[in-house]
Amino acid sequence: MENKSRRNFLKIASHALGGTLAAGIAVPVVGLAVHPWMKETVFGTEDFVAIGTLEDYPVGVPKKITITSSKMDAWNVFDGLVMGSVWVVRTGDNSLRVFSVNCPHLGCGVDWGEDVKKFLCPCHEGVFDINGQKLSGPSPRDMYSYETKIENKTILLNYKRMV
Amino acid sequence: MSAIRKWFEDRTGISTLIKFALDEPVHGGAKWSYIFGSGLIFLFILQAVTGIIMTAYYSPSATDAWGSVYYLQHKTSFGWFVRGIHHFGSSAMMILAIVHLFQVFIFGAYKKPRELNWISGVILLMVLAGFGLTGYLLPWDQKGYWATQVATNIMGTIPVIGKYIKIIHQGGSDYGNFTITRFYTLHVFLLPISLLSLVFVHLALFRKHGVTPYWKMREETIHKCVDPFWPDQVFKDIVFAIGMYAALAGWVFWQGGAELQAPADPASNYLARPEWYFLFLFQLLKYCQGPFLIVGTVIVPALAIAFLFALPFIDRNPSKWPSKRIPFFCGVFSGLAGVIALTFLAMHHDSQDFHIIKQHEEAEIQAALAVKLAAKGIAPSGGLSIFENDPLILGKKIYDSSCRVCHKVQGEGGDTGPDFTDFGSRGWVAGLLKNPKDARYFKEAALMPPTSLSDETLLDMSEFLLSQSGGLLNPNVERVAKGQELVLNGNCVICHAIGDKELKKLGPNLTTYLSKGWLNEFIKNPAAPKFYGTRNKMPPFDKLTDKEMDALIQYLFSLSKDSLIVSQRQEDVKEKLICFWTTQHKDIDRFWRQILMKG
Repeated sequence: MENKSRRNFLKIASHALGGTLAAGIAVPVVGLAVHPWMKETVFGTEDFVAIGTLEDYPVGVPKKITITSSKMDAWNVFDGLVMGSVWVVRTGDNSLRVFSVNCPHLGCGVDWGEDVKKFLCPCHEGVFDINGQKLSGPSPRDMYSYETKIENKTILLNYKRMV
Repeated sequence: MSAIRKWFEDRTGISTLIKFALDEPVHGGAKWSYIFGSGLIFLFILQAVTGIIMTAYYSPSATDAWGSVYYLQHKTSFGWFVRGIHHFGSSAMMILAIVHLFQVFIFGAYKKPRELNWISGVILLMVLAGFGLTGYLLPWDQKGYWATQVATNIMGTIPVIGKYIKIIHQGGSDYGNFTITRFYTLHVFLLPISLLSLVFVHLALFRKHGVTPYWKMREETIHKCVDPFWPDQVFKDIVFAIGMYAALAGWVFWQGGAELQAPADPASNYLARPEWYFLFLFQLLKYCQGPFLIVGTVIVPALAIAFLFALPFIDRNPSKWPSKRIPFFCGVFSGLAGVIALTFLAMHHDSQDFHIIKQHEEAEIQAALAVKLAAKGIAPSGGLSIFENDPLILGKKIYDSSCRVCHKVQGEGGDTGPDFTDFGSRGWVAGLLKNPKDARYFKEAALMPPTSLSDETLLDMSEFLLSQSGGLLNPNVERVAKGQELVLNGNCVICHAIGDKELKKLGPNLTTYLSKGWLNEFIKNPAAPKFYGTRNKMPPFDKLTDKEMDALIQYLFSLSKDSLIVSQRQEDVKEKLICFWTTQHKDIDRFWRQILMKG
């Protein structure tokens, strides 16, 4: 009888201690497992990408440039990654607009027609003016543009945010 | 509840299985001396759990391994702890396995009919050693890389087949991606599978033969006093497991986690040391030189293992009393004493050797620096790139390999050229002006005569000469003016051109003396007519890339405490290094303080 109650106690104590032990191991292991949920693991290192100064862009002449930026992927940093291209249009002395090269219709690359002074989409004959406004064609909207700001004469482009 | 249990039981027989697993009678009663085997099972589960979660972060390639371990260790919340448990857990397993082996030996549990039980245990011990060996390399840091080199070279000393064994483990004639993938395969697939199968055999045999009670226990007590495995023995096992985990966790906190050294650098001359439980073998090799190397690498270990395998067949006396087994006790314990003595000798030697202590310190600084540099991200070309992209470190490396033979820094290096301690500082230039023939400078090779000008005057001249580069820290305008007057209107300009970069005179052109541009041209071709011309003794270093030259110059700048750019940079690095160390320890201190306060 004494043995039975002793063993019952041992059973309860074993469950309690075993549970504590399992929890003590599970907390750090689960904590480690959910790390990517708590913290960003893949991200661009720059919100704003520098694309030169205003002097690089003559007023009224759209210029197509390649955007390079860097990306952190867990422990790795990738520098000089080509993110894509954009059209830069200097609209005035201190103003400019940056358009996505992709047509809002189906994403074809939009060209600048120097002879007609218009943006032309070669796929479905979409036509936009120098301000990206839709003139004709199947596009549902004007050209996409990006947020920009100028700091110390350097033009900074937020490549992540299209407006 | 019981209906569900019954449903499962009818279909799987799970309750019967659990009952079978737990319902083993322990003859002679449950004992604390039986906890070691189950303790090992617990540690294995712990290693498996921590190991599996770490594979979710680890990347087995020569370029990525270090970076991924760095990320695990420093960028995740629990990574350092989990890795610490896994790292020190392997040591704990080794210790416990040895204790288990000795308990089994002392109790005479290897005797008929348990021979195979003993042999499977010896194989398990070797598998454990294999785990330690393969796991050590995986972080691909300096320590693992160089220690494992020794291990694979030992494989190579096995007669006839050694060469092939080595190449199969290395995955080639040299270390590389395949070394890591192969060690990874061994560590996470082949060895665990082997271990599990062997543990299954080991346990099945154990269940068949039961425990081996204390030799003094009488037959009738063994038969009469029977405890059930569950809960009597299980309770003791769990208490032991929880105690071990607590001790292990405490140790991990105390140590601040497992060490991660700087990324493996095949070009460095890192001092290789194996994990502590292999130190005795390492020490043994010191005594086995030349053609006797094989004695330490193959013959002695093979004999020791052969002895363990043969033990149950040599010791056929059924009595378990130690007094009846004195020769075997002597053999096994003298083996243990030998291992302990060799381990102690190895540790003692390393703790006394000045060079080793210094290299340890350097390695720790490198490791801390690596962690700091890696925070900015590691280029895809691999862990080592963090150093190559850091000019000061690259510069020092070039200096050490190319310049040190002739130029001394802080008492280390050759004597042929000028001593570069404080190179380019105000004092260094003033000393040069005072006596170029001094042993610190050009010695007898100097053409320029010593001067009797006062030290203050020389410092003025030095101030002016150095101010030309624009890199002088806090230039003193008055001194510069005075120095300029002295230099330009004195004897200097008879032999030295100042002002016109291309002008050739007897001595070196001193326009923008010791600036980046000046050093660049000088190092590339010191024999140019505008520098030393035909009297030059230094070889040209024109094979350096722009990046390397830049780094070397940065390093040379860093030797001067009066250099503007680098002094700031160095302060920066120093500060961050100090921050790194103190925060690491502060975190741990804070942790303990919190615990204590709560208690």
